[in-house]
Amino acid sequence: MSAIQKVNKVAVSKIKVSESTLPAWWLVFRREVIDLWIGGKAFNLILIYSILLGGMVYVYSFNTELSLIPPREAVYEMLKNAMAVAMFVGLIIGADSLSGERDRATLESLLLTPANRRQIIVGKFLAAFSIWPAAYVIAIPYLYVLAQGNEVLAPALFWGAITGTVLVIGYTGVGMLVSFWSSSNKVSYFISLGIYALLLVPAELPGKSAGAAGQFLQWINPMAAVNHFLSKHLVNYRSVAEFWTWLTSSVVLAVGSLMVLLIIGSGLRLEAGRGSKLWAKLGRAIGVSVITALILVSLLLASPASAFQGEQDLTISIDTEYKQGKTGDKVEFNTLVTNNGTEASPPLIVAMNIINLDAAGDVVDPEDWSPQRTQYIDSLGPGESTNLGWIINTILEGNYMVYMVLIPEPAGAETTSQAVASSGIHLTVAPFTRLNPRGVLPYAIGGPLLLLVIIYLVYRRRKQQIDMGGS
Amino acid sequence: MTRKYEWEAMSSQPYILVAQDLRKSYGPRLALQGFSFSLKAGHVLGFLGPNGAGKTTSIRILTTILEPEEGHFVIDGIGSEHPDQIRRRIGVLPENLGFPRQITGLEYLTYFGQLYGRKAAEAKENALALLEVVGLQQRAKSLIGSYSHGMRQRIGIARALVNDPVVVFLDEPTLGLDPRGQQELLALVRRIARERDTGVVLCSHLLSEIENVCDDVVILNLGQIVARGSVGEVIGRVQQNIILQNTLRVQVPPASVTKARQVLKETPNIKKVTLIGEMEGWLQMELINATNENSEKDIQMNNKILGALIRAKIPILGFEIEGSRLQDVFLHLTEEVIK
Repeated sequence: MSAIQKVNKVAVSKIKVSESTLPAWWLVFRREVIDLWIGGKAFNLILIYSILLGGMVYVYSFNTELSLIPPREAVYEMLKNAMAVAMFVGLIIGADSLSGERDRATLESLLLTPANRRQIIVGKFLAAFSIWPAAYVIAIPYLYVLAQGNEVLAPALFWGAITGTVLVIGYTGVGMLVSFWSSSNKVSYFISLGIYALLLVPAELPGKSAGAAGQFLQWINPMAAVNHFLSKHLVNYRSVAEFWTWLTSSVVLAVGSLMVLLIIGSGLRLEAGRGSKLWAKLGRAIGVSVITALILVSLLLASPASAFQGEQDLTISIDTEYKQGKTGDKVEFNTLVTNNGTEASPPLIVAMNIINLDAAGDVVDPEDWSPQRTQYIDSLGPGESTNLGWIINTILEGNYMVYMVLIPEPAGAETTSQAVASSGIHLTVAPFTRLNPRGVLPYAIGGPLLLLVIIYLVYRRRKQQIDMGGS
Repeated sequence: MTRKYEWEAMSSQPYILVAQDLRKSYGPRLALQGFSFSLKAGHVLGFLGPNGAGKTTSIRILTTILEPEEGHFVIDGIGSEHPDQIRRRIGVLPENLGFPRQITGLEYLTYFGQLYGRKAAEAKENALALLEVVGLQQRAKSLIGSYSHGMRQRIGIARALVNDPVVVFLDEPTLGLDPRGQQELLALVRRIARERDTGVVLCSHLLSEIENVCDDVVILNLGQIVARGSVGEVIGRVQQNIILQNTLRVQVPPASVTKARQVLKETPNIKKVTLIGEMEGWLQMELINATNENSEKDIQMNNKILGALIRAKIPILGFEIEGSRLQDVFLHLTEEVIK
């Protein structure tokens, strides 16, 4: 029997699809996962990620200044950064998923199969998302060691899993949408990285949420909003009920990007975007609008003007919203006093106030806490501003509110003036503890090493499966 | 008769592929117009045309990757309005097909077999058989990244056969292959058509490929069909309209080229002798007083020329009268349309 006749014999089930055959999404997912992990891309990215986390733990442990960070804040920072890297990886893999296949000329053979286009999209999405569970598991030992037995670990793991999953779904979906509409992989990477940077920068800027507009812009930025939620809940002991709305934008992004992906997925084709001109125009319009909106958001958030604007003639603002530390920490911050009026102001006095939130608002005498309780400004011309620096030494553990009051000097004995209060700094002071460096180092080095061993074993097994002969 | 009934009638014919009046444009540029042809089971149909003639566009339409603006086609009784069902019945080797590098040939074919609805064990068995068909059974467990270009073309053809297709589309399958690789691959194409009773659409710009392998040919230029039929019919039909250039070609061993030139120059009725293929030893002769009607006089004249070479003990490796090759027909037709 010739080889071709053998094939014909094997091919008795031609065209007929058996009920017990696997669905296309599962086949594509399995193939993509193997390509991603055995192909090396995912392992390489995860290895870099684990080295980054290991480095962070090392820095937290050995850097004198940073080693004073309380466990709650260290866990929060680690979780935030782990999620940011995982989102980045999801976005990059999503951005490569379709345009990369177009560039490598492998998409056509997939489209030539009877596999449903939407199922192809689902399989690819799940494969791109597969990075997140691995990244999360790798982060757990680092979070554990930074927590030092603190009760923050459990909520951090719980909320990290939930918010990280939602964010990685959203970012992977966005990456795939960009890839769907991109004519080349370079374009897809460029746009995806641009979106990532535009959302990351405002999330990391200080003083980002001052003012209602700033708060709103932070609220609609999924990464910044989730960070805000986690910091309030994990660091500042605030309840989920108070801040759950900050998760809205990330959920909307995840659900929205998935839905759009599934809707447009049926039109997956060899060329970028959808076949119809309407979809092409719509896609372009959405893309341009999103990028324009993101640029505006980042500009608004990055602008100091948004943090210090006010309706009154005299305004005072603080560049720090909250701060966590241990007893003995030195907290530095600045206040900006601005005369928005059309006339020069009288001499101004700025006074510092500290309230103990744990003791029903008892006033704390700032004498022991700060070298300067008040500062004096001669006068400010119309539109003029002045910046004042302040230092607080945290003496006792507790939960405090620091705020400033700006008092225009009255013109005479029979006149008064309108004092203006600033927003507060929520100051959380924990008792001093130091991370045990000897306990940290094995995690910092061991994580990446363990991953290297796993990679080596996987590749060795793969080598045994394949014939390594050259052509 | 409405188009639907017309198509039903055509589908009852022993054709496995019938295309009618396909049209496609990219913006203002017309890529394909009035594209109609048919293909029988076990036949190899060649698509010929210069670059930009519409060959790849037509293949992409017939393989459901592109939608035609107008027209319709039927494959194995399934109309083009059912692309999912058509995909189950066709196999395709696209031009410049890419391959995942970190996957073995066996895994690659098994994966695609499963995508066509086979169970894992069955897909693997079929993949092994296909690897044997394309002569890659020894490299079944090698990564595709380690395959040579020729091997990749072979695995591409195996992938095109993974669903036991009724029609196979091969877009420039011999591109980048050495002469031996080209010959082997074309032999494989012939075997696929004959032994599997599969219709093959072979898209190529290599005229010798089409001439040697194809039963039928479609010549495209500027998105339109300029000739179609069996290779012999097309050549014969065009020969009647070609104004022959009173030209003969003869191939001698390269070492005998100088001597042959000398002999031919001294032969009566030859106006001019030109070397047209130095490496291959092709000489072209312009004749005086040829009738261009394949008459007795012309035949005698040709015999005299060949006799002169034989008497001079120069081996004759090849002999052609202009207009007798597909290449002449192709050049004539495509040039005419461009003009």
